[in-house]
Amino acid sequence: MRRRRPLWLKAATGTGLWVWVFVAVFPFFWMFLLSFRTPVDAFASPPELFAPVTLENFRHIWVEDKFWRFGINTAIVTLATVAVSLTIGCLAGYALARYRGRLGLWLLVSALVFRALPHVVLLTAYKPAFFQMGIWSRYETLIMVLVAVNQPFTIWMMRAFFMSIPKDLDEAAMTDGCSRWKAFRLVIVPVMWPGVITAGLFAFLLAYNDFLIASQLMNGEMTTMTAALGNYMGQNRSMDRLMHGIAGAVSVVVPIIILIFVFQRQIVAGMTAGAVKG
Amino acid sequence: MTTRSFVSFVGPSVACMLVLIALPLLGVGYLALYQSHVKTELVEVTTEVPLFGSQTRKQTRNIPQPVLDENGDPIQVWEFVGTRNLEKAAAVDGLAQTFSSPRGDAGESWIGSLYREITNYEFWGALEFTLLYTFATTPAILVIGLGLALAVNSVTERLRGSLVFATLLPMIVTPVVSSLAIFWMFLDSGVVTAMIEWLGFGKFYFLADQVTTRSVIILYGVWWAAPFAFIILYAGLQTLPSEPLESAMIDGANEWQRLRYVILPHLSPLMTVIALIHIMDAYRVFEPILVFNSSVYANSVQYLTFYTLGFEDNVHKAAAYSILTIIGVVILLVPVLRQSFRDYRPVQ
Repeated sequence: MRRRRPLWLKAATGTGLWVWVFVAVFPFFWMFLLSFRTPVDAFASPPELFAPVTLENFRHIWVEDKFWRFGINTAIVTLATVAVSLTIGCLAGYALARYRGRLGLWLLVSALVFRALPHVVLLTAYKPAFFQMGIWSRYETLIMVLVAVNQPFTIWMMRAFFMSIPKDLDEAAMTDGCSRWKAFRLVIVPVMWPGVITAGLFAFLLAYNDFLIASQLMNGEMTTMTAALGNYMGQNRSMDRLMHGIAGAVSVVVPIIILIFVFQRQIVAGMTAGAVKG
Repeated sequence: MTTRSFVSFVGPSVACMLVLIALPLLGVGYLALYQSHVKTELVEVTTEVPLFGSQTRKQTRNIPQPVLDENGDPIQVWEFVGTRNLEKAAAVDGLAQTFSSPRGDAGESWIGSLYREITNYEFWGALEFTLLYTFATTPAILVIGLGLALAVNSVTERLRGSLVFATLLPMIVTPVVSSLAIFWMFLDSGVVTAMIEWLGFGKFYFLADQVTTRSVIILYGVWWAAPFAFIILYAGLQTLPSEPLESAMIDGANEWQRLRYVILPHLSPLMTVIALIHIMDAYRVFEPILVFNSSVYANSVQYLTFYTLGFEDNVHKAAAYSILTIIGVVILLVPVLRQSFRDYRPVQ
């Protein structure tokens, strides 16, 4: 439909959009510029748009501060979290989409309450318990905690997704003599991948972006990249240390920016599915 | 689906949530009702104390020492204290005193001095900023999100993809990193501070003052959450049927009237959903407080508990704060839960 819009409205819309894009992108753009500078150039007054480029900050943080070690931890933890939470979340989401009893409602409502809980509440209980059991600062522990924290969101999203797959599909298979499990495996699994990818993205983001849980449950070299940024936030920030922190932050953010670039459509779909249908 | 196969399908997920979410919640309740300390006993220790020259004197003192069990570990003593931890965390005694003491004489208004004294208590101060943050950002993200959705909806298809990409950045990027990115801009020598000085508005110390620190954190919250409102409302605009808009135009409605009487009623259920989800998320605000190290000027309940747990290493006090936090969550959730029970339609 063609609408004739007044000129002032067009101008205001255009200006507003440009201002927003600038505000949304500039902090990251500036951080990116700073990470390639010496402290003197980075915090010059007035600020400089062009300054000599140096890779010293990145070299220091990756080589001397062993950031690669945290990178490996992050890779292990996020990939395992995504794998486990999708496996058990898919099954639960499918069951919730097909089950008629009150039990399903209670599960969904509890999941909603769990989703709203600040994570520090759980950490308070984890810390003494895990210490006592001797499972503190281990990959398995962090992975299972992240999976659990992620489940409420995953099962809501997977349920919304499975509800959009017609139930005639698996019921036809069951009429032909399949068990519920076999129907799920043969009929549902082949068509569920778009939903799984979307839910997987959000599981990945939660595990990758988490600072709080990893910083409390993992110790020293076992921590993730995001939690390791905490090392650069202490009270005694020298200018050099600050610059290393900026290089670290840029290192953390680059994979996320690539992820948004590649999966933009799925991220948008997942957010709208969670809010509009959930 | 039979209940039996339902149970076997949801089994692993439910087990995971029971062990790692429900059980810890009970654990927090348990921790909050107890105090623990290392069992000590007074041991008589005799040492030689130099007097002067080469003369010494024997001195015997009673020094507390931890009692060890057979494995050589110190013995922890657990003591049931009832609601004492909770009362201390909520500063019940202090509040009673605050309310009963006379006020209104030092040139300060009655309500003002009461407010100041109440927010001086750790928990209530943290709750104050948490709620301020929550209820200041919610209307702002709705307005900005709606503006962005309408604006993006009116540009050509070709531009929309890049606009959505730019918009997603503040929201999807690791919150610690996005807080740091903002923090570095507002340092005393950061780019915003330096630009303001260069333009001749004088030197601002954003992070050394309560009002500016709070404003920057709230602006961060709006910047972080507005994309969420935008994405949902933008998706809502795509489902807007064209007939009502066209008939409104035929009836001579202008832009404002179309927005007010056609578009907003269509989007209002989504706005409720956005507000509810955002309130839950904002109540958990943590990263900007940590990054700005702003707990003196602006604290949050989650950061307060984190600090008590991580730095003070006081599990029981942290558990008491956690219980108070959970009470807050439940209060915030009441409207959401009522909505869920009302909307729930099992598959026919």
